[in-house]
Amino acid sequence: MRPATYSEGMGPSAAGRRRAAELVFAQGGGRSALIRQIAPYPFHITRPFALDAERADLATLYLQSASGGIYRGDELSLRIDVRDGALAHVTSQAATVVHDTGARPASQHTVLRLGREAFTALTLDPLILFPGAELDTRTEIHLAEGACAIFAEGVAWHDYSGEGRPFGRLSSETLVFDGGDRTAVIDRATITGAELAGAASILGAGAGAFGSALLLGPTERLPEAAAIEDMLDRTGCLGGACAAPNDMGISVRMIAPNGGQIVRAVEGLFSLGVERMLGFEPARRRK
Amino acid sequence: MIGQLLAIWQADTAFPSGGFAFSNGLEGLAALSGPIDEMELENVVANALRRRWASADRVALARAYRVADDLDRVEAIDREVEASTLAEPFRLGSRRNGASLIAAHARIGTPGAREFQGRVRQGRALGHLPVAQGVLWRGAGLDAASAMLASGYVALSGFTTAAVRLGLLGAVSAQGIVRRLLPLLAELAAAPLPSRIESFSPRLDIAAMRHARGEVRLFSN
Repeated sequence: MRPATYSEGMGPSAAGRRRAAELVFAQGGGRSALIRQIAPYPFHITRPFALDAERADLATLYLQSASGGIYRGDELSLRIDVRDGALAHVTSQAATVVHDTGARPASQHTVLRLGREAFTALTLDPLILFPGAELDTRTEIHLAEGACAIFAEGVAWHDYSGEGRPFGRLSSETLVFDGGDRTAVIDRATITGAELAGAASILGAGAGAFGSALLLGPTERLPEAAAIEDMLDRTGCLGGACAAPNDMGISVRMIAPNGGQIVRAVEGLFSLGVERMLGFEPARRRK
Repeated sequence: MIGQLLAIWQADTAFPSGGFAFSNGLEGLAALSGPIDEMELENVVANALRRRWASADRVALARAYRVADDLDRVEAIDREVEASTLAEPFRLGSRRNGASLIAAHARIGTPGAREFQGRVRQGRALGHLPVAQGVLWRGAGLDAASAMLASGYVALSGFTTAAVRLGLLGAVSAQGIVRRLLPLLAELAAAPLPSRIESFSPRLDIAAMRHARGEVRLFSN
């Protein structure tokens, strides 16, 4: 089924939704429990899994869109609170498609709030922007003292008609707030699909995806930038890593031929980050 | 007429602004991608003007110019530039370039330069290049539009000068790129200011990040 047809088949409810999801993790009884969950359609979450024998208190939860993606006019928000000492990994099993939004761009607002000594990784598979898709994203990460976070996002694009039509526009904003609620990192960008097309692409010829990541926390609990770049080389991504502003952690940029390589790179970042932040090699998250 | 002359004076590469030490990621890009031909170089520079200079540097400059007589507000802009420059080599380069420009203007006696330099030395301000340009060029008498053009020209010629020094192309070919991109620069300089500081240059970011750990380097970034 062509994506546009799918969207039309969903009726009026498939577009212009304003939905807010909320997840709260707290430490207790040797695990990180999901003590509050609000996940209205189109959000869909699994139960939390303990996938790592070394740290059974690291809860892993899969988040999905039950509606086949993001549609015109959607306003989706997600809030994740990870309280003092709790450990949570929120990931996905597949990419999220952003459909043609027509005259009504969609928006996605995510807030991560970490308590003292908490750990959170939010590593969702890439957004796939279809022709005509316009999306505004905003992510806020609030870190209390001693907290560590991994936030990675990727973007790819695809024209199901094979005509090479570009997506419309992507505007993104990621803000990191330190323990004093000072805005310590601001990563804002706007790009149109046309600027990523062909040999004159701002990403270089042959690029079909890009991504960014932040590994946040005290310096002694962060991987080396050189180790990150070595890992990115092995995944086939062109990538770079360096100190993020205001000593907040490590900033990573990635460019790849396709979204699959961004997925592998993000898996590698998660693994490197957990090794340094929590002290063990995490099990592979099955997709 | 003096406004145009002041802009030419500040855009002149003979002015000691420290930019000669920076390739804006070009050296790293050449190391990553191999030889860059003239057409690709022109694309790289045009994209950097559109998605970095026009959307980030230009915005910071315009804001700093507007509030140049209120250094507390200038400091806030400076901190926003710091927080929003994710690639460390560009962050450090912007501060070093800014420090050179401030030092030159302080010695010349540009109004406001010593006071701003004092704030940077105290650690209250960071002295990022576009912020310093806004403060100093207003003190030096440039009008806002001329300051914008001078900043854009410094960015454009910074790329092509670095490309020549890296041996990517000859001096005359580099001037061909400058000439062809002047209309784009004029268009970008005159465009309405975006409401926020933002940039999109992952390829140059990556090149500069990796270049920073290179053992053999001609440029600081």
